[in-house]
Amino acid sequence: MNPDYGQANLRKIFFLFLIVFVTLLTGCWDRKEVNDLALIRGAGIDKKQNGKMELTVLLYIPKGGSSSEQGMEGPGGGGTMQTLIRSAQGNTIAEAMSILQEKLPRKIFWGHCEVFIFNEAIAKEGIAEDVDFFIRMPELRERSQLFISKERARKILSLLPPLERDLAEVVRELGEEKIGMTVTTKDFAEMLVSEAGDTAIPWIKILPPIEGQEEKRTIAYITGTAIFKRDKMVGKIDDSLTRGLLWLRDEVRYSTISVTPKGKKGFVSMKLLRANSKIVPKIRNGKWEVVLKAEADDDIMQNTTDIDVTNPKVVKALEQQLNSQLANRVNETLKEVQKDMKADVFGFADAFHREYPEVWKKEKHRWNEIFPNVKVTIASKIKIQRQGMQSGHPLISSEKGQAE
Amino acid sequence: MLERGKISALQMAFMMNPTILATGLLLVPAITAKTAKQDLWLSPIWASFIGFMIVFVAYRLHKLYPKETMFEYSEQILGKIPGKMVGAIFVFYYFHVTGIIVREYGEFISGTFLHQTPMVVVFSTMIIVSAMAVYGGLEVIGRCSEMIVPVLLVLYLVIFVMLLKDLDTKNFFPMLENGLGPSLKGSVVLQSWFSEFILVSFFFPYLRDHDKGMKWGMISVFSVMFYMVLTNVMALLLFGKLTASLTYPVMVAARYISIAEFLAHLESIVIALWVAGTFIKITVFYYVLVLGIAQWLKLSDFRSIVLPIGFLLVLFGVWSAPNLQVLSHFLSTSAPFYLLSIQAGIPVILLIIAWIKKKRQQMKGKLIG
Amino acid sequence: MKMVYLLGTTLLVLLMVLSQLEKINKNQKKDKVVLIVFSVFGWLIAILLIFFPDVPGPSELIDVLYKPLGKLLE
Repeated sequence: MNPDYGQANLRKIFFLFLIVFVTLLTGCWDRKEVNDLALIRGAGIDKKQNGKMELTVLLYIPKGGSSSEQGMEGPGGGGTMQTLIRSAQGNTIAEAMSILQEKLPRKIFWGHCEVFIFNEAIAKEGIAEDVDFFIRMPELRERSQLFISKERARKILSLLPPLERDLAEVVRELGEEKIGMTVTTKDFAEMLVSEAGDTAIPWIKILPPIEGQEEKRTIAYITGTAIFKRDKMVGKIDDSLTRGLLWLRDEVRYSTISVTPKGKKGFVSMKLLRANSKIVPKIRNGKWEVVLKAEADDDIMQNTTDIDVTNPKVVKALEQQLNSQLANRVNETLKEVQKDMKADVFGFADAFHREYPEVWKKEKHRWNEIFPNVKVTIASKIKIQRQGMQSGHPLISSEKGQAE
Repeated sequence: MLERGKISALQMAFMMNPTILATGLLLVPAITAKTAKQDLWLSPIWASFIGFMIVFVAYRLHKLYPKETMFEYSEQILGKIPGKMVGAIFVFYYFHVTGIIVREYGEFISGTFLHQTPMVVVFSTMIIVSAMAVYGGLEVIGRCSEMIVPVLLVLYLVIFVMLLKDLDTKNFFPMLENGLGPSLKGSVVLQSWFSEFILVSFFFPYLRDHDKGMKWGMISVFSVMFYMVLTNVMALLLFGKLTASLTYPVMVAARYISIAEFLAHLESIVIALWVAGTFIKITVFYYVLVLGIAQWLKLSDFRSIVLPIGFLLVLFGVWSAPNLQVLSHFLSTSAPFYLLSIQAGIPVILLIIAWIKKKRQQMKGKLIG
Repeated sequence: MKMVYLLGTTLLVLLMVLSQLEKINKNQKKDKVVLIVFSVFGWLIAILLIFFPDVPGPSELIDVLYKPLGKLLE
């Protein structure tokens, strides 16, 4: 081996490249610094009269530097001067974004965008084109949540929530609570390419502010679900029907149910601990059927009747009532979504595809005819686990708890 | 001998893992999902057979010519001129394939993070680092991988574990909807990745522990298969039918991670993994190319041509495809057959001829005896 | 602009050759020739790519050769 090849030579090569790279240093192409970025926290899409769409973005203004009080916000100061709303119009989001960039001294950065809010009008026309942008854009994360609202998305984004930093944070946190549906960009795209291709997105609404408060000092909250036939919105269901939808999709995580025991006055309220459900498809003599198998554990939270909830027999009866209440819920949801809107947001098509791949291949094209007539039976098994910390005699006197 | 360094069989196994996986992990799920649909996780298992076969072939050839690499024994097996021709095919092939790997690296970096940076700069920075490692020789590359690869493999598992709560096992079904066909078809593209295992034949002569070469070669094929299955399962369970329509499913999967809200935005880990893995991959290919050329032309030292070849590799990276669409189309149609015919076809033919030759010699020996 | 690239490439190749030439042992003629041949080859391709960026590359060549098989996977 040539003894020359050692440290000295490596260093020479290194210097050689240093020299060469000086010629390349005409600029640092992808330099991004926080004080040059406009961090988008949430975006809203509205429809304009002229057929264009309006993109509204909620920007977070990073308060850098040592002079400002970091992390300390004055009383009720959350949201003041921390966020900024800007809108632009265009034929596509990408186009609107470039027009928006004209109005912003900082470079738009999508990496922290958590929330997308669509106006109802644009949802009725179809949102697949917009979701294409969300997935294609490298900066955007697929965990951003989607929402639909009746109010202008711009109006919702410009609210100043009292508790959280900005509206996007509020809506995102509400979504994470999973009381209603939670749909991320990925979930939506996944539903769109599923066998049925019908989708659903949670519906949000502005909470009326407390009297005397500033009109903007409020939040938007999730109530109900918008139902889509493919990517076009066809209807909306309310909170209680959403619960039925969640049962069918095995997404129930949080729920409180009250039942009135037979022959009594008042309620027994129960909190859901855990739940899981499964849809089992069956094709019998050419008839398409689905069985919803649901299991759940509940705890008693409150008892306003005079029944003794420590009595196993009483508990059995309560469980029965819970089961029938669940069946009612689900049936109501099915009536609206399956019979009226004819949108398969429950994943029935995929269930049939999984269970009967052969039949599915032949009958796939008829799914739109089959789906509204799929018979759903509900087999639920809800158990009441514990009665809570109050276990002895009911506090409610028996006269008060008797039915009149 | 051109290379005096020695590596252990374990180091070789560590080297081979990112050499196959680095480009594979990001592209494989999407490419296989297109043909294999929900059976995509089976494809790596079928494809790994070719990997096992190639390691076996390489080891047999090594047993026949223990001190030489493919460039040298092809001349002994086929004779001088045809042997040189085989060498020429391999030289062109490694130029081209390394160019494609460099391009894949550049496409990923430019496509996801450095949108504005010219791709040539992305290529060059990587080639410079690799050139330094190649300049150091096999031992340096071996030690680099011994240091980097275990971390990569473990971190990758961590990513999988962190995604567990978002996975949906329903996506597995219907299993084998259209029989084994789709998953076998999906495995064709993967076979081209597994056929890259022929690289071990260039390392066998430099193993400190020759007898363990076969064992560790097989283990690395198995671990590559395991990681590919894991990747495909992860993509399938997370994205279902959406897998086929994503460009880099693993990348998207990593940034889908969100644990307790603060453990999120982990794509930078994937980038780190990918860059480190690609570094090993490019270095290994680069090294084999440089060593091969030196052996092919019977040079006294391979170090003198490291830089010019690095320069050529950057150019081949630019030249290999006009854009990403053409590149992935090429990789999922013609490329598998191209890679297979050279990386699997030629060694098998060499082995068969070598065996026949040996048999003949034995016969002759017997006749004389 | 193309001229700048051309000049830069030429400079790079020259530096590369010169830095390596001095390291090769005096009697290793073949090594020197190989080094120069590869560098010139690289320089030519670089120039080709600078002036005609759309020139068909090796992948196109392979694609033509393996097209019939590749069709199977489309």
